[in-house]
Amino acid sequence: MTHFLTFLGRLHPLIVHLPIGFILLGLLLQWYNRKQDMHLDKAISIAFLWAGISAVAACITGLLLYTHEGFAYDTVKLHLWFGIITAVCSFIYYVRISHIAFHKTPVIIFSILILIVISATGHFGGNITHGSDYLTEPLPPSVKRIIGIETQEGNEIALNEEELDDAILYSDIIQPILDNKCVSCHGPKKSKGELALHTPEAIQKGGENGAVIDLKTPDSSAIYHRLILPVDHEDHMPPKEKTPLTKHEIALIKVWIEHEANFDKSIGQLQLDHELFTSFFKNENSSELPPVSVATVSKDVISNLKKSTAFGIQPVSKSTSFLEVSCLNFPDFKDADLNTLKPFFKNIVSINLRGTQVSDDIFNSLIKLPNLQTLKLDNTQVSGAGIGSLQKLEYLRTISVTNTNFEAASLKDLALLENLEKVYIFNTPAAQSPQENTDITFTINYGNYTLPIIATDTIIY
Amino acid sequence: MDNTERLIQEKIKREIETQTRRHFIKDCVAGMGGIALSSLFFSCNSFFDNKKGGKLSLTERDLNPLATLAPPFPPKVKSVIYLHMAGAPSQLEMFDYKPELQKLHNQSCPESFLEGRKFAFIRGVPKLLGPQAKFNQVGEAGNWVSEYLPHFKKVADEVAFLKAVNTDQFNHGPAQLFMHTGSPRLGRPSIGSWVTYGLGSENQNLPGFVVLTSGGKNPSAGKSVWGSGFLPSVYQGVQCRSKGDPVLYIDDPKGMSRGLKKRTIDAINSINKEEFDNYSDPETLARINQYEMAYRMQIAVPEVMNINNEPDYIKEMYGVEKGKESFANNCLLARKLVEKGVRFVQLFDWGWDSHGTDHSTAVDLGLKNKCREIDRPISALILDLKQRGLLDDTLVVWGGEFGRTPMQENREGKEQGYKGRDHHVDAFTMWMAGGGVKKGASWGKTDEIGFSALEGQVSVHDVHATILHLLGFNHEQFTYDFQGRPFRLTDVHGHVIKEILA
Repeated sequence: MTHFLTFLGRLHPLIVHLPIGFILLGLLLQWYNRKQDMHLDKAISIAFLWAGISAVAACITGLLLYTHEGFAYDTVKLHLWFGIITAVCSFIYYVRISHIAFHKTPVIIFSILILIVISATGHFGGNITHGSDYLTEPLPPSVKRIIGIETQEGNEIALNEEELDDAILYSDIIQPILDNKCVSCHGPKKSKGELALHTPEAIQKGGENGAVIDLKTPDSSAIYHRLILPVDHEDHMPPKEKTPLTKHEIALIKVWIEHEANFDKSIGQLQLDHELFTSFFKNENSSELPPVSVATVSKDVISNLKKSTAFGIQPVSKSTSFLEVSCLNFPDFKDADLNTLKPFFKNIVSINLRGTQVSDDIFNSLIKLPNLQTLKLDNTQVSGAGIGSLQKLEYLRTISVTNTNFEAASLKDLALLENLEKVYIFNTPAAQSPQENTDITFTINYGNYTLPIIATDTIIY
Repeated sequence: MDNTERLIQEKIKREIETQTRRHFIKDCVAGMGGIALSSLFFSCNSFFDNKKGGKLSLTERDLNPLATLAPPFPPKVKSVIYLHMAGAPSQLEMFDYKPELQKLHNQSCPESFLEGRKFAFIRGVPKLLGPQAKFNQVGEAGNWVSEYLPHFKKVADEVAFLKAVNTDQFNHGPAQLFMHTGSPRLGRPSIGSWVTYGLGSENQNLPGFVVLTSGGKNPSAGKSVWGSGFLPSVYQGVQCRSKGDPVLYIDDPKGMSRGLKKRTIDAINSINKEEFDNYSDPETLARINQYEMAYRMQIAVPEVMNINNEPDYIKEMYGVEKGKESFANNCLLARKLVEKGVRFVQLFDWGWDSHGTDHSTAVDLGLKNKCREIDRPISALILDLKQRGLLDDTLVVWGGEFGRTPMQENREGKEQGYKGRDHHVDAFTMWMAGGGVKKGASWGKTDEIGFSALEGQVSVHDVHATILHLLGFNHEQFTYDFQGRPFRLTDVHGHVIKEILA
């Protein structure tokens, strides 16, 4: 019987469209008939009679859906009550049209009322299936802010490696994992299998099959066991079509249960291996750019400059205001040309001057680019005289000067640059005499790799 | 006059009478069909913006389709060099060391491996074939590399191995298409096209996606493996020859001056522009762009494709063969192209189909020759990129379209004179090197005989997702609308292989 009722409940999305159709038809006929000259009263009353009947059918299937699919009352209450009001209003309208006695009340009031009620019912129903932000989601953030919708970013779990020991295992990691992957079906809105996982109390309470955590045999705890079943298994969680937990997340859930599913202790107190958490560390991607904020350069400024010069200028990525400059199509670049970039010196994190007419004077101009991280001067005439002045650039990490006249003396000047990580000096005078220099904290790539000829190079089998 | 009027009236009446319900419905169908069709066509045409009343709205991108675009996320690499060993190299003689297989050499393959499986050529119960190469642990990471690749040990610490890649196609053509377009059937854009579409190309005088082939043949799947599918055709790979003129007819014919050429192209383009204004076919724009690109390429291509100007020690390192079409020449060209800002360089080397049907396809003879042909060039390419600081911005990918069986091939159920291996889709080796890749990593493990993956199984889609990730894309959000729905390189699959990322 339950199966059949569940099935009936699932007809709800189909049946709800009947009262909508009948009501709109009735209202439309009523509008044509507004001067009482088309004698449509009979048809209108039939339309609303059927609107009422189908609305009752929709209410019944809706109730079945609600009781059999684990929806929470709070989620469905508005839709439920508005649905019932729709059914009632339809019958009232029917009575108003078909019984002469009521003809004195202006029909327009009923019409407006029922239109509002049916719209609201439909909207709240849509919110249940598609989420309450479904309708407004495609709007641009600026419009959303005006109509008062909070714009949320994804709940990415980002841990800080240094403060890892102080993080609470449950509230900083386990609950966010559950929030991201489980709570949409097992939470305050829906609690399938009578299970909710959004608070410690709810987790301890368990679901219709009892407790989900088994401290004696952690491996058989439902909250863990169902994660590791084969994906095709009926009991596997989350269901096939939802985002599965990563293996790191699953491993942590297990560790948490093994530590008595403790809700308060920190990672340090539990003495957990930091290896377990490495996949949750903050994405290094974003921190690779200088930790300062710079004003975004308008697209027009960039595209105008690109039209008038041969500079290649583009943002590092769509989400930052830092820029990369390339002279790949600008072989005639001379030191003075750098000044055309003046409006956004602060934005430049990478400059590629490979194969240009650049000279050693460029170093005096480059110090105006405070956020520069990468400098490419390969295949040019620079000798590196004056490169020491780049010590003002605190974010400069990589310099490549291969195939240039770069001198060994200039290499020493680079020792002043504190955050320098890599220097490429292949095929330069500096590379001829590799020196041991203890002051240098960065890696020097001298290049000049060879692959000596060996016997097997010439044997043909 | 009255009579004529009456006649007309009657005619109209008759006409109305002949309009039956059947006619009405028939007309409706045609009308509805038209509406439906127009919406279908509309979905193919990105140039009409119906909000602006069907007016042509061309973006800067349409006029300059290879203009650079910022990736959605900060990228690790800017360019890709993809080395494809067409025919599928034997992982068991190159990177996947299986000492147990040696002990089982010449024993019949256990039935459990063969049950319910289809092979391209193996019939009945084949014998296991032990690894024909000796292996050593090389570099600081201690990854196993075979003696077939003696130079490779010098760069082994730069690469991250994927030991358990799988595919679902066991024939060359579909498998190559799958490896390069994410679908075994024709019609999808290749990965190089996706990348050039998404990022454009830095050098305005060179194509963004260059293809070089060696080994005497094009890949079995034909040129579709570098095709642009439903993307505008300006993003398809441009095949250059490494012998003779890099591009056919790149030199102006005798008596044709560069100025005259320019005027000719301008005239053709103005006619094409008129055509475009009338019919708005985006392919016309592609044609205009290609003409202009070809004109600029006439100067830039011979320069970049000329490897003779490279110093001798570089040519020696790669093992360049002057005036020949060779994989070594192509590797050197790949470095030069990437240095010049080309976005995607695709190398195909043919001749890796080691079935053991003759000398050249024997895993203990011909395969050794193929390994020698690529060992020095690939090692040189990685070292050369590294010493120029280019490896930080470049991703090098190596692989075939599938792997080879631990069993000896027995075509038609007969024992073969040479030692060979059949096509194998379950587990094979690929590797990546360059920016954002964990140096010396090895991910994935196969069973004792190298037949199935035990852990770290990754699919072709996962490889694609990882390549796109390194270029600054989320593969799930990088889409192109075609025929009314967004398409992805990875379709509905793919996970970034975080284990090999730095």
